Order: sequence, then structure tokens, then C-alpha cells
Amino acid sequence: MNTLFTRRGFLKTAGIITAGVTLGRFDDLVASENKPIIFPEKKKDLILLTSRPPQLETPLPYFKELITPNDALFVRWHLANIPTSVDLNQWKLKVNGNVDEELTLSMDDLKNKFEKATYTAVIQCSGNGRSFFEPRVPGGQWKNGAMGNVTWGGVRLKDILAGAGIKGGSVEIAFDGLDTGPLPSVPDFIKSLSVDKALEDDIIIAYEMNGGRLTMLNGFPVRLIVPGWYATYWVKALDTITVQPKQFDGFWMKTAYRIPDNACACIPGGSKPQKTVPINRMNVRSLIIDPADGQKIKTNKPTEIMGLAFSGGYSIKDVLVSVDEGRTWKEARLGQDKGRYSWVQWFYPWRPAKPGRYTIMARAVNSIGESQPMESLWNPAGFMRNKIEKIEVNVG
Amino acid sequence: MKTPLFLIIILMAACVYAQDASIKKDGSTYSIELPAVRPELKPGDGKERTEAMCNICHSLDYISMQPQLSRGGWTAEVNKMINVFGAPMSEDDAKVIINYLTIIYGKKD
Repeated sequence: MNTLFTRRGFLKTAGIITAGVTLGRFDDLVASENKPIIFPEKKKDLILLTSRPPQLETPLPYFKELITPNDALFVRWHLANIPTSVDLNQWKLKVNGNVDEELTLSMDDLKNKFEKATYTAVIQCSGNGRSFFEPRVPGGQWKNGAMGNVTWGGVRLKDILAGAGIKGGSVEIAFDGLDTGPLPSVPDFIKSLSVDKALEDDIIIAYEMNGGRLTMLNGFPVRLIVPGWYATYWVKALDTITVQPKQFDGFWMKTAYRIPDNACACIPGGSKPQKTVPINRMNVRSLIIDPADGQKIKTNKPTEIMGLAFSGGYSIKDVLVSVDEGRTWKEARLGQDKGRYSWVQWFYPWRPAKPGRYTIMARAVNSIGESQPMESLWNPAGFMRNKIEKIEVNVG
Repeated sequence: MKTPLFLIIILMAACVYAQDASIKKDGSTYSIELPAVRPELKPGDGKERTEAMCNICHSLDYISMQPQLSRGGWTAEVNKMINVFGAPMSEDDAKVIINYLTIIYGKKD
């Protein structure tokens, strides 16, 4: 008997379909051949945003864990032809362009010829939280689940580039993966970093996530990891690295994934920015994970509020929690420190003495004093949402 | 609520499939099979042309997911598909599609 042929498995699948109908979210969605909407190597309860190319969001309860499991990590592709089959005997990582010597590296080369680097880093989509923007903006309508905290293992990019030898006068490094557009006219998804950025110690080409191989939908066989920066740079199914003698000007750098060129990366809602720059380092964020928004809590029962906080490469120094809608704030206790790229869990003991509706807020501060704004900062692409989140709970 | 038997059978079949729908390894080759999801759009004048054109590059849930955009918003989206991604549509196609999207998925006044 199939292990999934259980009442629980049955109810879960049934739940996906019924929930879709109730919410009207997938009422226009027809699963052909009666196959359920489950993506390979992924949990059934990931939230389906789009199917081709796939965009799947992680439900918040998974963030009760310090490390996001591979099968719960969000998925985001840009172009319809995503790799669904990779032969590791055929696949090679090519390094070319403005280099002394072109390289063609196999997976064995990566694993055996280079030192391995491992660290935990938050991966977060630029548009995480876009659906909460006001005025609303088009694009992937993510809630807060386009992120995760993963231990990545791989090869330092700078070691590979040293092997190829970057020629003098080089300006940028471009990264291309196996995904392609369904029409020749669709701009290939290629991202670039300045040579200086690309040579930083912590940028790696990862062949491991949480100790296993990468899942196909998260970029098997290798992906670029630019810790502290938004995931748009973390090119999946990477196979070509090209050293550029001038600035790379592909669509996904020159036109897309750009933010207003000012300190807050923000402009008044509904307006157009004068000047833009490519999105880059992540801002400070914190989320309240437990209790969930709208949850009921018993009066006088000791409870613990729990959440997470991270910033773009600077460790979180403090998380302040308010249970009275921002009038007073107290420090939360921080959990295990897994390095400056990881998120940190925070915990706040609470025993609400009186029944009623409570607004809980959390605000993180990093080691260079960066924090979160009280009100949402707006930009036309819906990037970098990091306002202080609020949840409401009913005590009674 | 009573669940019709055929639905139970479909869902059970679905569960069995679920376990197989993971990654397969054949020698040095890793392969996955994506679920066959075929979202459709809401009824309206221009639905067929919109579905045919948009489906070339992406599933139709890309459309139903969006907030209710104004006519200007939907026009900008369609123009982006033509000018940036090379959607092979005539001016008439664009007109019909923008109308459909504005009426069916647009901002209500």
C-alpha cells in the first residue's frame, strides 16, 4: 500500500483543491488528467502563484524553523523553458569572455578541485511582500513567503575566476543559467555583478542546499549565491560566467529589477522615479511568525511570541517587540547566531492579563544601526518591502 | 457534506501520483516532470485571443494573479509583452486583449 494513500494525505490533497475553490484563487485553474497541483521535490502546501514558469510561495508556519527545508523553499523562475532534466556528465560550468584562459568545469571539478565554502544565508525575492503594496503594483503577488533560510555549500566564485584569470580593464561579470525564453525574442535571464563585487569572499557557486543537492526547481545543479543581496542575482542552473569588458546591458539589468536611486529606494505612491539603479543589498526585516495573525490567545496564559529577523549581511543586534500597537517596546531574546547572512529567531514571553484585541509589532535593528520604517516605502516594482509588520490577536 | 465517489477516486489517484511526481535519477541524469496545470481565464469578449496569445510565454494565472489594473496599467503590460518580449500580436490583437483585460480583470469604477 502506498504510504501516501492515507487519510491524512488524502485530506491534504482534498484541502488544496477545496481551499482553492473557496478562496476563488484557483477557481480558474484546471488540473488536467486529474493530477494534483504538486511540484516535484516540493511540499503539497506551498502556495501556487503561477504554474508556467513556476512560482511557489512558502507558507509562514515553515518559518518557525531556523532552517527552511529544501522541499518548502519558495520557487521563482522568469522564463517558461526551465530545466527539467540535467545530465551531470554533459553539464559543464563555462567561464569565458575577457579572461586569460576559458574554463569548462564539471561537477566533479567543482567538488574536487576547489575548496568548499559553507554558510547559512537568507534567500529573498526582491518582490517579497509585493501584494501588500498600496497603491497595488503588477508583478508576482507574493505575500511574505518568497524567502527562506538555507545552508549553502559550494565553491567561491573568486577561486574560479582566479583560475580563469580576469583580464585588465574588465568591468562586470555576467551569469547565465539553463533557462530560456519560449520565443527567440524573449531576453535571456542574465544577471551581472561588478568585478569588485564578484570577487568578494562570500559569493559562492552552490551545489548544496542544507547538505543535499539542489532541488531542480531551486537551480540544480548549481546556482550563484550572493549573500546579503536579493535573490534576483542568485542565478539558478548556472552554466555560463562571462567576464565583460564593459557594463552588461541586458534587459534584466538595464530595465528590470531597478529601484529609485535614493537612500530609501522609495518615491511617493503612484509616481515615477527620476533615476534608477539595479537593486542590490537587502534591507532589514523582521516578521512575527507565532502567533499567526488573527489567532486566539487565552487570557493570563503564558505564551511566547516568536519571529525572525535579518538584514543584508549585517548581524541583527536587537529586535524590539510591542504588544500595545507601538506605544511601548521591549527587547526580545535572540536565538542561535548562524552568522551575519542567516536570519535570527527571536522570542518574547507574553502573558496578556486582560482580554481584548492586541496589536503586536516587531522591529529589528542591525549592527550598523539600520532598521525598519513604520510606514511602507513605495516603489513602482514593489521591491524591498520592510515596514514594521503588525499582527492582531484576540485575547479572551 | 457528502463527497461524490468519483471525486474520491480522482483524489486518491492524485495521491498515488503525488509520490511519483518527484525527481528521477537515471545514471547521471536527473529529471522532473512538472504538473500539467492549465489555468483558464474568465469568460468575456476576447477571452480566446487573450488566452492564445498570452499562453505562448506564460500560464494564464499570471493574469488572474494581478491586482485590478486600470486601462493604462493593462495597456502598459501588453505593450511590455510586445516591445520587450516580442509577443507576436497585431495591433488589432493588442486592442482586443487590452479591452478584455480591462473589462474582466480591470479596476472597477
